[in-house]
Amino acid sequence: MPGQRSRLKIFPALALAIFLLPILAGLLFTWAPAFGYLSAAGSTHFSLEPFATLLRHPSLPGALRSTLISGVGASLLSLALALWIAATLYGTRLWSVIELSLAPLLSLPHAAFAIGFTFLIAPSGWLIRAVSPYPSGFTYPPDWITAGDPWAVSLTLTMLFKETPFLLLMIFSGLSRLDVRRTIMIGRSLGYRRLRIWTRLIIPQLYPMLRLPLLAVLAYSLSVVDLAYIIGPSLPPTLAVLIDRWFNAPEISSRLVGAAGSLLLLFVTLACIVSALALEYLISKVGSRKILDGRRQSPFEVLVPTGSLYALVLLAVNLFSLLALILWSVAHSWRFPHFFPTRFSLTNWSTPLRQLLEPLSVSALAALLSCLLAIILVVGCFENEQNLARTRIASISQRSLWIIYLPLLIPQISFLFGIQVVLVIFHLDGTWPALVWVHLVFVLPYVFLTLANAYRSYDQRYSYVGMTLCGGPLRTLFRIKLIMLAKPILFSMAVGFGVSIAQYLPTLYVGAGRFATITTETVSIASGSDRRVMAVYALTQLLLALTGFLTAIVLPAAMFRKRKAMQN
Amino acid sequence: MAYLPMRLLSIVIVMLFLIVCQDPAKARDWTEILAAARGQTVYFNGWGGSEVINRYISWAAEQAGQRYGVTVKHVKVADIGDVVSRILAEKSGGRTSGGSVDLMWINGENFHAMKNNGLLLPSYTQLFPNYPLVDTENKVSTLFDFTVPVDNQESPWGMAQLVFLYDSEIVTDPPADMRELLQFSQNNKGRFTYPAPPDFYGTTFIKQALLELTTDRELLYTPVNSARFEAVTAPLWEFLDSLHPHLWRSGKAHPKSAPEMKRLLADREIFISLSFNPAEASNAIATGELPPSIRTYVHDGGTIGNTHFLAIPFNSSAAEGAMVVANFLLSPEAQARKSDPAIWGDPTVLALAKLSPEQRSLFEAIPLGAATLNPEELGAVLLEPHASWVAAIEKEWQSRYSK
Amino acid sequence: MSLVLDSIEICLHEAPLFKPLSLTVPAGTIVTIMGPSGCGKSTLLASICGMLDPGFSLSGTVSLNGRCLNGIDMEHRRVGILFQDDLLFPHLDVFGNMAFGLPARMSLGQKRERVDRSLAAAGLEGFGGRDIATLSGGQKARVSLLRALLAEPEAILLDEPFSKLDDNLRGSVKEFVFEQIGRLNIPALLVTHDRSDSADGAYIELN
Repeated sequence: MPGQRSRLKIFPALALAIFLLPILAGLLFTWAPAFGYLSAAGSTHFSLEPFATLLRHPSLPGALRSTLISGVGASLLSLALALWIAATLYGTRLWSVIELSLAPLLSLPHAAFAIGFTFLIAPSGWLIRAVSPYPSGFTYPPDWITAGDPWAVSLTLTMLFKETPFLLLMIFSGLSRLDVRRTIMIGRSLGYRRLRIWTRLIIPQLYPMLRLPLLAVLAYSLSVVDLAYIIGPSLPPTLAVLIDRWFNAPEISSRLVGAAGSLLLLFVTLACIVSALALEYLISKVGSRKILDGRRQSPFEVLVPTGSLYALVLLAVNLFSLLALILWSVAHSWRFPHFFPTRFSLTNWSTPLRQLLEPLSVSALAALLSCLLAIILVVGCFENEQNLARTRIASISQRSLWIIYLPLLIPQISFLFGIQVVLVIFHLDGTWPALVWVHLVFVLPYVFLTLANAYRSYDQRYSYVGMTLCGGPLRTLFRIKLIMLAKPILFSMAVGFGVSIAQYLPTLYVGAGRFATITTETVSIASGSDRRVMAVYALTQLLLALTGFLTAIVLPAAMFRKRKAMQN
Repeated sequence: MAYLPMRLLSIVIVMLFLIVCQDPAKARDWTEILAAARGQTVYFNGWGGSEVINRYISWAAEQAGQRYGVTVKHVKVADIGDVVSRILAEKSGGRTSGGSVDLMWINGENFHAMKNNGLLLPSYTQLFPNYPLVDTENKVSTLFDFTVPVDNQESPWGMAQLVFLYDSEIVTDPPADMRELLQFSQNNKGRFTYPAPPDFYGTTFIKQALLELTTDRELLYTPVNSARFEAVTAPLWEFLDSLHPHLWRSGKAHPKSAPEMKRLLADREIFISLSFNPAEASNAIATGELPPSIRTYVHDGGTIGNTHFLAIPFNSSAAEGAMVVANFLLSPEAQARKSDPAIWGDPTVLALAKLSPEQRSLFEAIPLGAATLNPEELGAVLLEPHASWVAAIEKEWQSRYSK
Repeated sequence: MSLVLDSIEICLHEAPLFKPLSLTVPAGTIVTIMGPSGCGKSTLLASICGMLDPGFSLSGTVSLNGRCLNGIDMEHRRVGILFQDDLLFPHLDVFGNMAFGLPARMSLGQKRERVDRSLAAAGLEGFGGRDIATLSGGQKARVSLLRALLAEPEAILLDEPFSKLDDNLRGSVKEFVFEQIGRLNIPALLVTHDRSDSADGAYIELN
């Protein structure tokens, strides 16, 4: 099928064109001010002054410290704990509970979770209220630093609880490609205990599939702005918050410093990524020597029960953060030390419901369009990949496909300002194509990531059978392969749907104020004081994302309700 | 003099703009503007953090549609700086007309920066039929925004004055000045704080402290003088150094914004908070956000007051529509509605003396609310120091407390 | 030296999969259990090595060399298992796969020597450094068996080990497996649905 092969070749090329050019342009146009070029502010000559100002800034060392603690800490801990949950709970009932809870966990937006979590752990929050005034004796909240502590511990915990479910999703998807059950049987028949089987047999096979998600989590945690505003340290804040402030500061010249800062953040992120890869190399070097030492039992085997402890804490923290939001959304007044609101009211819901119709439909449409485009491109890329694998031709475009992950590895603030300038030049800002495109940039890698394992482990022989039965490759693709893969495809689209809904900065920078989405409305209401209205907005955002996941779960179940073999 | 080329550049740009686009404000009377405005869509960009304010704006949008045929789209943002950035990007991209922002809610440093960089439409508020009603005589900040001449480049919208909110259930005798506030903090460790600069409210609190404590207040109304900065601000740092250990979280963490402080007040974490809206307490009690025991107070020597404005960017694609909307928001009807604590409670910029009796009665019918101070109680309004002090103070604050 | 099953019955949600089964596998012999797919052959093997899935329940006793296996963790049963898929670990080379089952007390050098000897005896001399992906189906099957046997199990279970092999390979692999098991002199249980796979010893129909 030479014709089809060459037609498929355009998919990786297309995917790359969507990403590479605009991001490069975005980076360049963001960097220009860092070197003194910002014509609109009358600054038109090369200068390193922005960097000098940045490096002299009194808050920089502290901001870097918080950024590194929270970014590196949260990503390494969430990987370690996600793997710990998998290793200690695989095959238990709690493991299936976790699998079922992933969709709601992933639908809970980051900022919403942070607001709920802050309310849990604050000195005036739910935990302290549970013991106040009796038996703690607190009539007023104690003056303790919990949320927003200067060491960024609460920020790290927030990201830890939010990223563990994502990495667990990646672990579930990765494990589906391994024969875990029988690998465990072989390992045990050779005398190995649970933890050693995971560290020596399963994780080495699983890790390559977790590498990119881990790096994405790392880059995200280093550059997150909204969470750092809500629960991060304040004196000084993280680097990403400092940069965001510089970009928003009244003095136009601050934008030069902001641009220099975003370049520094990019550098910090790349340095962390390289360090993570170096660490991985080191561990695999040391590990490959230890892997064959024949020791059957790890001294940590006694700690296996802590896996369910952490899993329960993870589920409970998310559940109670959600419950707090629900209660706030129907509260009229709820002061310390009351454990439940003293007055309930539904008025918090009445105004937003009318005002949120338009943002909801804009969000849903942008998410649907970007998901559809993403799935077309992703399926095209996978088809091309499988074609090439069959013909054993390695192509350059195929090998450079990792570039689609670039948007996950580069801090958003490092290129969005530049993208805005580029779009303005071409009069594309504030248009639907630009909005859908910028969402696609972030949706596509997640769809790729979540679909890859299922798509790649599809047994091609079904398609060969299909070809002999119904003819052309396209018909086989649509009538057999895509239908058999409907479940993972819809699930990856739901993940993409959620990613699109959550996009704040890209919508802001590209939308030119023309698109109010549920997320831009939520963020703007979150800059206010009213936690009750915030809860309403956050829950609405959650419901939209959850609708995507429910559709992805219910639709295939309904389609295949009479096909037992398609049900797992 | 580094400003000179930039100034020149902006003048050139404005001139070009005048030639190319026919300055909408130039040599046109109001009926022409009204006619041009009909059918236009005005993108009104402003902070969207308050449902109360959002509701008021959507009422105004409805009115503008019914009365003038202007469609108003409220673009709610978390930070108006994002919008300034966008206009800047548009300017960088060479878009001198057809911009995405038609009307924006700003004041102070943002106005200063936008004016300096030629990002605003040249003078136009003098054309508004309602502009003569503005109390420019007594409310000087309607003419000088943070001491920067407004030059008719932004339309006054509402008045603000720094007030303190306290929980009368807990605090019986609120502090009367900064010294007493320090004493209060020492006696009630951890029950007062202020947002970390560069948050607007945090900076205002520091400026208030500076105005109260400095021996040479007049200097603050001239551009910042680096040679005398140290001497002028020394009492401020001495005050903050003794205040910080007694603040909420021992000063190791600060709230990020005034809205966050409002939550802390509601949560009983702090006993004293601050606001720029004298009617905020009454409004928040009405909505249930704050308990009925919250009251307002000001310092004896007066507190900082300023004006917030609406401005039209240089490249607005619906400048006439934006003018019509800004003028409507200046009308006695819109201003009276806005100043009702049950609706928003934002004080008017108009001079009641300049209004007709019916117009005045609109204002007189408004109940103040139990937690709102009357104009006498509000006391003297201190003017904002020159805008250039802000950056200098913020920088020094950060190098002392935000490392 | 023998593997003894005494009135083994496996139920899935109370429903028995097959009639109670009693049987003795003496050392050095391979007993074949035949039956159509879905009759519970693999479940039987899982019960012997202690990896029954939730939902299944086991009654009767399994004992190996006089030691009752019921209730003992799988990793302490010393029962090897071989599947139709070789399940070689792709992140380890041939040596790594085979040495994985060797005891901790052996030094790396001793392990290398032991593996090399075993490879040589199996006609796979010099294969230690080979990547798993470069092996042919027959080679994989051999390495897989050697890995199981190097751990010195006291019994071995074979779950349709030949069903995925080409016809021309099947005979030689089968011969190799039986010969190796015979040399180790341990009891072996082979389940298959294909009569031609059966060993020379006794065979039992499961139903």
